[in-house]
Amino acid sequence: MNGPARLLVVEDERNVAETLIERLRASGFQVTRADSAASARRAIAEAQFQLALLDVGLPDGNGFELARVLRELAPATAIIFLTAHASAEDRIRGLELGADDYVAKPFHFRELLLRIQNCLKRAQDLAQVPGEMRGQVRIGRALVDFERFSATLDGESRALTHKECAVLRLLAERAGKAVSRDEILDRAWSADEFPTSRTVDNFIVRLRKLIEFDAADPRVIRSIRGVGYLLTEITRE
Amino acid sequence: MRRARLVAAAALLWLSLQLALLAWWATVIGRQARQIAALEALSGAGHAATAAQWSRTRLMLVGESSTFLALLLAVSLLLAWLYWREHRRARSMQAFFASVTHELRTPLTSMRLQAEAIAEGDQRAELARRLLEDSHRLEAQIDKTLELARIEGGGPLAEQAIPLHLWFARSLEGIAAAHGERLDLRAHIDASLPPVLADAGALQMILRNLVENSVRHARITPVGVRLTATVRDRYLVLEYQDNGAGVQDRSAHLGRLFARGAGSSGAGVGLYLVRRLMQRMRGRVLFNVAPGEGFRCELWFRVAA
Repeated sequence: MNGPARLLVVEDERNVAETLIERLRASGFQVTRADSAASARRAIAEAQFQLALLDVGLPDGNGFELARVLRELAPATAIIFLTAHASAEDRIRGLELGADDYVAKPFHFRELLLRIQNCLKRAQDLAQVPGEMRGQVRIGRALVDFERFSATLDGESRALTHKECAVLRLLAERAGKAVSRDEILDRAWSADEFPTSRTVDNFIVRLRKLIEFDAADPRVIRSIRGVGYLLTEITRE
Repeated sequence: MRRARLVAAAALLWLSLQLALLAWWATVIGRQARQIAALEALSGAGHAATAAQWSRTRLMLVGESSTFLALLLAVSLLLAWLYWREHRRARSMQAFFASVTHELRTPLTSMRLQAEAIAEGDQRAELARRLLEDSHRLEAQIDKTLELARIEGGGPLAEQAIPLHLWFARSLEGIAAAHGERLDLRAHIDASLPPVLADAGALQMILRNLVENSVRHARITPVGVRLTATVRDRYLVLEYQDNGAGVQDRSAHLGRLFARGAGSSGAGVGLYLVRRLMQRMRGRVLFNVAPGEGFRCELWFRVAA
C-alpha cells in the first residue's frame, strides 16, 4: 500500500463522526466523511477507498443498500459495518452482504483500529493476485476473476465478497489437495469474529450453490472427512 | 415462519375440536328426540301429540345447537382477538427496546470516543462541548422513556391555569440551551391571551420533544423555530413551525408510538408523547406537514375559565 490508507466514514451522527474522524486521522489514515447514503454514493463515484465504515441507519437509506453498491462499484474496498443495531439478524445480514466485519456501538476506538488494520491487511493480500490466478479462471460452472472480485454464471456477472474470494482463491491455489478448515479460517476470518469449523462448513455450502453444477451432489468442492475440503476442477480460460 | 405454522396448526385443531363437539351434540340431541318419540308411541299418545312433541324437540335441538355454536364462535373470536392483541403488544415492546437501545447506544458511542481521546491527552474544549451535548441527549431519552411509562401506566397530570407568555419567558431559554447554536428558538405570545389549562411538566415535555425533533430532522444549522398563539373558540392554539426539511413521508403515522420516518433516527416516542399528553389534557395536536415546507403543528389547549 502506498501512502496512508483512504477510508470512507458514512455516519450521520455528527458527534460520533467528527470524533471518530479526528481519531482516525491522528492514527494516520486519510478520511472522507459522508453523512448520508447520497453523499456516500457521490464519494464512492469520485474516489477509490481501501475501506468503508458504514453506519446501518442513514437519513436517506441504509448501510446495507450502500454495501451492495460498494460491492458492485468498488469490489476491492473492505467494508466494516458500524452500528447500534447489534442483533444477530443484522449481523448475519451484514456479513452476507459482503461486509468484512461488523462492529457494535459503543465500541473502543483501539478495538476498531485493530479491526480496520486486520481488514486492510486481508484486503491488501486479496489485491495481490499471483500470476497463475490472474485473468479468468473456471471453477465449476463459474468463471471467476479474482482481480475484479467477480464471477460470471450463465453469462451473468455478480460481485464476489472478500470472504468468497479469499476461500475460493485458497482452494484454487491448492487445487487437487485437501485444505484444512483451520487454514480456511486463518485465511478469511479474523480471530475476533469467533468463527468455528461449522462457520466454514456453512460458508462452503453457500460457495457450492455458486459454483457447483448440482449443489446437492457436489463434485467441484469435495469434503474430505476429518480434514477439510478439496477443489477438484480449475481451468484457466 | 415456524410461529405462523404453529398458530395455523393450533387454529386448525381448535376448529376441528369445535366441529367434533358440534357433531357430538347434534347426535346426542337427535338420539334423545328419537327416544322421546318412541316412548310416546309406546304410551299410546296420538299422532298429533307425537308430531307436536317432535316439533318441540326439534326446536330445542336447533335452539340449543345454535346457542352452543354461537358461544363457541364467540369464545373463538375472543381467543383470536386476545392472541392478536398480545402479539401486537409483544411486537411493540420488541420495537421499543430496539429503538431505545439504539438511541442510548449512539450518544454512548460518542461519549466513549471523546472520553478515550481526553484520557489520551486531548484537552480541546470541543470535546467537552460534544460530551455535554451527548449527555443532554441521553438525559432527554431517559426522560422520554420514564414519561412514556408514567403516561401508559395512567400517571396523573396536575392541570392548572398557565399564562403561556409568562411560562415561555421562564422556560424558553432552558429548552433552547440543550441545543446550543444548532437552534434559534423564538416565541411571540401576546400577554393579553388567556391562560391555558395544562400540566407544567407535560408542557415542558411537549416543547422539548418538538424542539428535539426539529433539531434532529431539519438538516440545517441553526434550525429556526417560531411559536405563535391565537384563540379559537374555547381553545388557545399554539402554532409551532420550523424552517427545516420537513417530514419526507409517512406523515399520517406521525404521533403513533414507535412510528419513524424512513431512514430517520429516533425512537418514535417523542411525537407520540406530544399527542398523548395533549389528549390527557383534553386538548389535541394537529400535525401539518408537507415535504420541503418545514415541520408545522398546532397544539390546541383548553382556555382556563
